Amino acid sequence: MARSSISNTVRTSIGRLAAGVFIGATLVAAVPGISQAGDITVYTSYEEDELAAFLEAMKADLPDVNVDVLRLSTGDLRARMLAEADNPKHDVIWGWAATSMVDPRITAMLEPYSPADIDKVPARFRDKDGYWFATTGYMGAFCVNNEEMAKDNLPMPSSWQDLIKPEYEGKLVMPNPASSGTGYLHVASILQMMGEEEGWAYLDALDKNMDQYIKSGSKPCNAASAGENTIGISFALRAIKNIDEGYPITMVIPSEGAGHELEANALMKTSQNKEDAKKFLDWTVSKGAEAEYNKWKSIVTMQGRDMPEKFTSAGLPDDISTVLFEVDYGWAAENRDRIIAEWQKRYEN
Amino acid sequence: MTVSRTSRLPDSDRVFGVATVMATILLLVTFVLIPLWAILKNSFVTPDGGIGFGNFIHYFADARFVTIVGNTFEVGISVTLTTLALAYGFAYAVQRTAMPFRNVLRIVALLPIFSPSLVQALGLQFLLGRNGFVNRTFGTEIDIYGFWGIFISDLVYAFPHAFLILSTALAVADARLYESADSLGAGAWRIFRTVTLPATRYGLASAAFVVFTIVITDFGNAVVIGGNYSVLAVEIYNQVSGQANFSMGAVIGVLLLLPAALAVIGEKWIARRQFASLTAQSIPLVVQPNRARDAAWFVYSVVVALAILSLVAIVIYASFVRLWPYNLSFSLRHYQFDVQNGIQPLWTSIYVALLTAVLSVFFVTGAAYVNHAFPMRASRILYFLAILPAAVPGMVLGLGYILAFNTPGQPVYWIYDTILIIALCNVYHYHAQGFLLATTNIKQISSTFDEASATLGATKLRTVWRVTLPMIWPTVLAVGVFFFMRAMVTLSAVIFLITPSTQLAAVSVLYLDDRGALNQAAAFAVCIMATVVAFLIITQLALRLAGIRGVSLVR
Repeated sequence: MARSSISNTVRTSIGRLAAGVFIGATLVAAVPGISQAGDITVYTSYEEDELAAFLEAMKADLPDVNVDVLRLSTGDLRARMLAEADNPKHDVIWGWAATSMVDPRITAMLEPYSPADIDKVPARFRDKDGYWFATTGYMGAFCVNNEEMAKDNLPMPSSWQDLIKPEYEGKLVMPNPASSGTGYLHVASILQMMGEEEGWAYLDALDKNMDQYIKSGSKPCNAASAGENTIGISFALRAIKNIDEGYPITMVIPSEGAGHELEANALMKTSQNKEDAKKFLDWTVSKGAEAEYNKWKSIVTMQGRDMPEKFTSAGLPDDISTVLFEVDYGWAAENRDRIIAEWQKRYEN
Repeated sequence: MTVSRTSRLPDSDRVFGVATVMATILLLVTFVLIPLWAILKNSFVTPDGGIGFGNFIHYFADARFVTIVGNTFEVGISVTLTTLALAYGFAYAVQRTAMPFRNVLRIVALLPIFSPSLVQALGLQFLLGRNGFVNRTFGTEIDIYGFWGIFISDLVYAFPHAFLILSTALAVADARLYESADSLGAGAWRIFRTVTLPATRYGLASAAFVVFTIVITDFGNAVVIGGNYSVLAVEIYNQVSGQANFSMGAVIGVLLLLPAALAVIGEKWIARRQFASLTAQSIPLVVQPNRARDAAWFVYSVVVALAILSLVAIVIYASFVRLWPYNLSFSLRHYQFDVQNGIQPLWTSIYVALLTAVLSVFFVTGAAYVNHAFPMRASRILYFLAILPAAVPGMVLGLGYILAFNTPGQPVYWIYDTILIIALCNVYHYHAQGFLLATTNIKQISSTFDEASATLGATKLRTVWRVTLPMIWPTVLAVGVFFFMRAMVTLSAVIFLITPSTQLAAVSVLYLDDRGALNQAAAFAVCIMATVVAFLIITQLALRLAGIRGVSLVR
């Protein structure tokens, strides 16, 4: 075997190299994430860009608290928290869907806490037992692609009722309520707004115009923005950001009122560093936080806000409460399984 | 024959064999079976808190479910058959013809393996979407969402996997067989049918199994381009992430395990008929140029390569334009990554991928070698556990890792929340593919070498070090490279294991795409592809510098 001498050298050097890398890598990897005083772990579903801005403000206001943040989508985060329930890794939940927070399996992990300034947040945006409070939220809206509308010479819709008109057949996309919180928010608010019987009849009519039900909440707006569909039933902030990006779309808030979801904050019962966790939660209702929320969120629950210019130019009114449909979160959470089962039976066959 | 070989082994070897087989099984039980069980036991917990088959009954009675299972098999079978046919032809062209540009074509065929699975669908959307390149340019009204969208994107995604396995199977051949067939007057087709095809039967079966499971467990492409066409992997996501219904997610997980069980039976059946195609007496087949044949295969390969390249190229293109599809002027703004940690996730991914590669060399190649060298009763268990992960959807495995390992006092609790758990999850998530890749290679290197060495009185351990390792180290390296690439692009399992300080690049792509930052998602995907390609080039250069030539890293 002529190759054997080469193989020998190769083998030895590769062996040494591999062993070296292996030992080195294992040592580094094995250093566990030990929590030190002043460290807290926060789980959130705020979007990456707004999160980056919030954290920057937070670091300026709370220099002593080191906050480690994990960001996942609402559903992924819930799956992870439920799987970790026996030994939670986080101290605080921040900016996470209130309709998920009321899941009894989640609430059981929380400890009631109300920051000193909690009165700035109206009572209807807080849990009555103090388990959570919502500082921000998002509202439903339609994203309508102007180019595609012009191509087919279609009139701009202004309400839910408009969407079931025959000329929009095959032009609509909306999130699937089974996989998306935004999708469920729309379905739940329609059923509450119209009553169940009329609501389902409406959804039947809407289904006739639907091109597809997309798995995530922001995707329908993005599909409409990219011209993959004409009208995306989505949420307002996505529309505002996409308009700002330069996509040729119009944001439409349905005249019957827009469904909305709150993003809530809570303290974990199992937190090892409640002092700093509370400092962080206090900060979420502070002036500094509010100033950042105002720049990014369609709904800020604290009173007296200034709306940024890009929000108003996209069509958001100064007083947001005039266009919101007042969703009953408790009802939406309690009836979730039943409504989704019915929805799937009707539209997913 | 295999049993007698074991009984001939000296005592020290038998002890060594039993010890390594048991150690391998223990690792597989710890990192595959225990996490799986942790989540799958949920499938028997009914909503009222009882234990039983209630969830299965409830689900099977649902007409919707029948449709979803039907869809999954429709996509799974059609993509598998198409991929096998196309990839076999491509591998044949690369390994058995003297067509020009074989290396370039090979690399193009591998491109899809360098990016997360949703990227093929993203590219397809850019290319054939309602407002995609083709429809915008030619005014056509192609609607790609649904079956065809999943079919094409999964075909492209699975192609390199099939190509690698088939290419390995076609790489070695005994020239004597071809010479005798030729001298007996057999035509090209007859030689193919009676010599080439039987010798690659094992590779074909492995490839079929790998492709089928990749397709039925793939979530990324189906979710982006599936439209209203529902498949099981997406349904798991609906149940677990959308509705926090672990029980139903687990029920589907159980169903997806069935193909693994079937594959074990199929593999045993084929393996019994498999012979080592390279023995100590073999004369390696040297491909002779043949102008007409080479030209025909060249055309075929170029067409396939162009189809793959177009999906990759349009993603790269979209990452460099200002606003797809409205403003196509050149822009680098998508490479600024205004996400929370900027480009940091890419570095974390590289680190995780290196660790995964190193671990896989020890654990996966080790498992394949041990399974081959020490046949015993427990080998069947080892084999089943080794390929079981192929049928486990990433989401099920990832959640299983949390449930199994996030318990203080548990022996491996210390790995939780570290980079090590992500690397281990990658190793075992892709265990089947790595294991089959290594096994296919090892099987082709005849056990004659082992036996000769053993007859000369060497112990097994010495044989491994002196004879086997020098023979299979290119395979070992290839397995390491395979795991590096997988670790760079994997999504669904690791999404549940990342921590605030260990964000991964592929997860960034998923969330950027979800947020609608399509161009930025494309840009991040391009960074991942570039990293993998750079890694391959550096490794190849290192080998050159060490004086080693002719080793293909990706196979």
